[in-house]
Amino acid sequence: MMFPALLLITLRQWRTHKLRLALTTLSIALGVAVFFAIRTGNSILLDSLKSTVERLAGKATLQVTAGESGLPEEVLETVRATPGVRIAQPVIEVIADTSFGDEGRLLVLGVDTTGDRELRDYEFDRSRTEIADPLLFLAQPNSILLSRAFAERHSLRLGDRLALFASEGRREFTVRGVFQPVGLGAVFGGNIAVMDVYSAQLVFNRGHNFDRIDLMNFADVPIETVQQRLRARLASGVEVLRPEVRGEALENAVTAMRIGMLMTSFVALLVCMYIIFNSFTIAVNQRWKEIGVLRAVGVERRNIRGMFLAEALLMGVLGSLLGIAAGYCLAGATGRVMGTIAAAAYGLVSTPERVSFQLGFTLSSFVLGVGASLAGAWFPARAASQLDPVLALHNIETRQAETVLGWRRMGAGGLLVATGFALIRWSSPRTGLTFQFVYAGGILLGLTLLLPRLVQWAARALRPLMDWAAGSEGALAIDSMIQSPRRSAATVGALMVGLMFVFSTEAYIQGYRRVIDRWMNEVLNSDLFVATSTLMRSPTYHFSEELGRQIADIPGVKRVEDIRFTSVPYRGDTPALVAIEMDGFLARAQDAVEGADGRSLREQLPRGEGVLISRNFSTRWGLGVGDHVRLDAPSGPIERPILGILDDYRSEKGTIFMERALYKKYWGDSAVDFIDVNLAPGADPGKVKQEIQRFTSNTTHAFVYTNAEFKRWVAGLVDQFFMLNYMQLVIAILVAMLGIINTLLISVSERRREMGILRAIGGLRSQIRKLVLLEAVAISLVGVLMGALAAVFNTEFLTHAVSIALAGYHIPFYFPWPLVLWSLPFVVAASLLAGWWPASRAVRMQVVEAIGYE
Amino acid sequence: MVQLTNVSKNYGNKRKVRALRDVELHVASGERVALVGPSGSGKSTLLNLICGLDEPTTGTVIVAGAVLSELSDDARTRMRREKIGMIFQTFNLLPTLTALENVGLPLRLQGIAKRETERRAFSMLERVGLKERATHRPDELSGGESQRLAIARALVFNPSLLLGDEPTGNLDSATGEEILGLLDELHREQRCTLLLVTHNASVAGYCDRILTLRDGQIIKEERGERGPAESR
Repeated sequence: MMFPALLLITLRQWRTHKLRLALTTLSIALGVAVFFAIRTGNSILLDSLKSTVERLAGKATLQVTAGESGLPEEVLETVRATPGVRIAQPVIEVIADTSFGDEGRLLVLGVDTTGDRELRDYEFDRSRTEIADPLLFLAQPNSILLSRAFAERHSLRLGDRLALFASEGRREFTVRGVFQPVGLGAVFGGNIAVMDVYSAQLVFNRGHNFDRIDLMNFADVPIETVQQRLRARLASGVEVLRPEVRGEALENAVTAMRIGMLMTSFVALLVCMYIIFNSFTIAVNQRWKEIGVLRAVGVERRNIRGMFLAEALLMGVLGSLLGIAAGYCLAGATGRVMGTIAAAAYGLVSTPERVSFQLGFTLSSFVLGVGASLAGAWFPARAASQLDPVLALHNIETRQAETVLGWRRMGAGGLLVATGFALIRWSSPRTGLTFQFVYAGGILLGLTLLLPRLVQWAARALRPLMDWAAGSEGALAIDSMIQSPRRSAATVGALMVGLMFVFSTEAYIQGYRRVIDRWMNEVLNSDLFVATSTLMRSPTYHFSEELGRQIADIPGVKRVEDIRFTSVPYRGDTPALVAIEMDGFLARAQDAVEGADGRSLREQLPRGEGVLISRNFSTRWGLGVGDHVRLDAPSGPIERPILGILDDYRSEKGTIFMERALYKKYWGDSAVDFIDVNLAPGADPGKVKQEIQRFTSNTTHAFVYTNAEFKRWVAGLVDQFFMLNYMQLVIAILVAMLGIINTLLISVSERRREMGILRAIGGLRSQIRKLVLLEAVAISLVGVLMGALAAVFNTEFLTHAVSIALAGYHIPFYFPWPLVLWSLPFVVAASLLAGWWPASRAVRMQVVEAIGYE
Repeated sequence: MVQLTNVSKNYGNKRKVRALRDVELHVASGERVALVGPSGSGKSTLLNLICGLDEPTTGTVIVAGAVLSELSDDARTRMRREKIGMIFQTFNLLPTLTALENVGLPLRLQGIAKRETERRAFSMLERVGLKERATHRPDELSGGESQRLAIARALVFNPSLLLGDEPTGNLDSATGEEILGLLDELHREQRCTLLLVTHNASVAGYCDRILTLRDGQIIKEERGERGPAESR
């Protein structure tokens, strides 16, 4: 019967300390909201990628693909001739730009008009279609069918003309039918069109290739049997997969982004744990005497601990429920941002999905929120249970100042930091992310143990400065930190974690930018670049070789390199493949290649007798110069020795470079994704760019960049990739600010008498406000200092462990001191904002009551 | 120096408590006055009204020629830090500051430069015999030393009025005597007006005049054992 009584006492405390309850619950809610939103957004993206594949597949039970380069037409006959295959239809899939600009990007599906209806239900809008069978009508050249959503958005009617930017230039199509925005029509937000597959081959430069073949088996032949038969008949580079499996494979493509997001989604929760710790430390301090009384009247230690943990549990439940509700509201926006990043960085098409309430994420978020609350409250609850009742019953004035942690814990903290750092720094890159996370967790735990002492040292070091800069109020403000290092340490810890991630993410981005700059100077050093998309690349829309030949004729152009940038299957992964004219490439970038001597490279690479690999490909697969790479091309396997290694940051899965002629021979694909243009000495890049733009405008959808513009464009893509991380970190800082409010409110409450004395001996209200605000400033200054210190370790973790484990990139250690300095005024301003309310409460205090306050 | 006219102070809304009732008081400049009476008689309330920490429900409080109710909160605070020194029973020293910093605090709050503050605070510490304790914090001082420190803080800016709320209440009798002796010496040196609240007859005996409060009213006025300050 004891516990309900203790719970009642706790609930009465809530009534008295509503603000502490609100701030703590809000911080749990924010942490859970971010976690829930990211997990749900992530799931929305994956569902959307999968459902796009499945909707486009229609009733197909299997899909035959061969990477982005496509399949030769002959494969269709082989598939159709395979026993058990009922229908097999070729497909070409292109995201094409229209004359409507960004809003008018269309997913164009090229299908065989004679038989595709058996696979896909088009649900034609009969009331608005004049022709009997719009699908058959597509056989007419320049016919196109549109989804009703797109047609209505752009006021297009039957018979209207629509311009598409094809590989050979701008082409006009006639709208011959409209289908409903369900099933296929709902894909890609309704921006979908259908055209004849052979017209698509022509206008989108697919040569004699299809992007894939969709098929249905006979009902009496199991899918697995058909799959096995097809695999046996087709070349090793051709994949035969169920649509849902192919959809799942896309998950692999966005792994790095998902892990990055997941990592930052924990930051807010981590910050919130510090706030809970702080809040409960405060609660124990406030209820010091009450605990003494309870112990004196016979409440056991475990019940005291249970009382605080029950409070944490209730707060955790409340905060988690609020967080899940808020996270549900945020999830849609998060999914959209992730979809944008997936499209920009990986060129993946997704169809916006509705946010669905997923029980698994709800439960995991709830458990994490409650767990964080209990974990944060554990140490204060334990401290409360170990309180000496005799000491606790003493008058509050006789209470001794907080002790900082003893040397044993300091030693443990130091050891954890040193060991964690050493393991991250010197362990093998193949250790695995899980272990690396444990090492990083060890460092954070070590720093947390060291924090009270570090806060005290930092505060002592700051005291003369604060005294000099802000007079006695400055000294008194910092004294609060010196006197109560644990209370301040929890808030500083919250700030530390938030800022640690801000600084180390920036350090990572800056390091990443530096290697990209170096890479661009060494490898991407052409004068002009012509790209198919404003995104990193378009997996579906390509130039023809004709465009390169035409650009080569422009005065001032010395040499043009056609580049195919695609991805190929390799040991269950999808590294990038760059097919380039090696003569030209080596002429400008040979110095960047490590491995064989220059002469061997110049002789063997252009003849297709070897390949180059990127350093991250080498790290990922443990391959070096002299080893062989075996690839399964649609026309058969190809194996070549590795002649050299170079840095390349196009794909986190690694890159293989080969002679373009070799690629064309094995993949039967002459598409071009980038055209690198090198100018004759003295030629003006600006003028040549204008000439290319004039020449391509209204005919080809091409984006022309000078070298400097290209670098800025890549930098923009990097920023876009990390955009969501920044957004999450802003929330982490917001949670830390709640911690500052909490700490200051308690500081004001604990220092009521001190402030009363100050007022009694002549301190103005403005001076009391200044005192509280200066304490906020002191916390934020120490927080920035500790955040910078922790960020040094976390940067090492990100650049040395995470980067290599996820992408094989060796990012140099660079610490963003300018950002640390720039953050100071912002963090100080935010802390002043957070301190304003507690300061106002301090100012309103009645002096007579304060002096008499026990 | 201090003039109270028809001053009353009530607390509470529903159950009204009348802490002071129609108090009339005049304290001349340089005079030493003791306010005595049992607990709850209104002594501390009266002191709070005189130093401007609290406001009367009715009546007027004039200190050093200024009507306190006509002053803003900031103006009353400035008057406290420039003209009124305060000594408390519980010393009310700031635990995080050293003795030197505690004494210098009123000067720092006035905006006086740190070096000048330290010079004057050190001189005051020397005067109260705590020169050697300048760098010590309050928890390292004895009760008597703490009160001497509080006196040094109250007098460091040469106030014209010194208010003491049971200045010897927390001290043993020998230390109390010592503190009263110090107060006497400093009063003579600085010629300030002294108003002491006490329920200790021997403390009251140090003053020129003794006023007895009961139930919020001054019920008796008598001369102290040592007589008027001017006579000595």
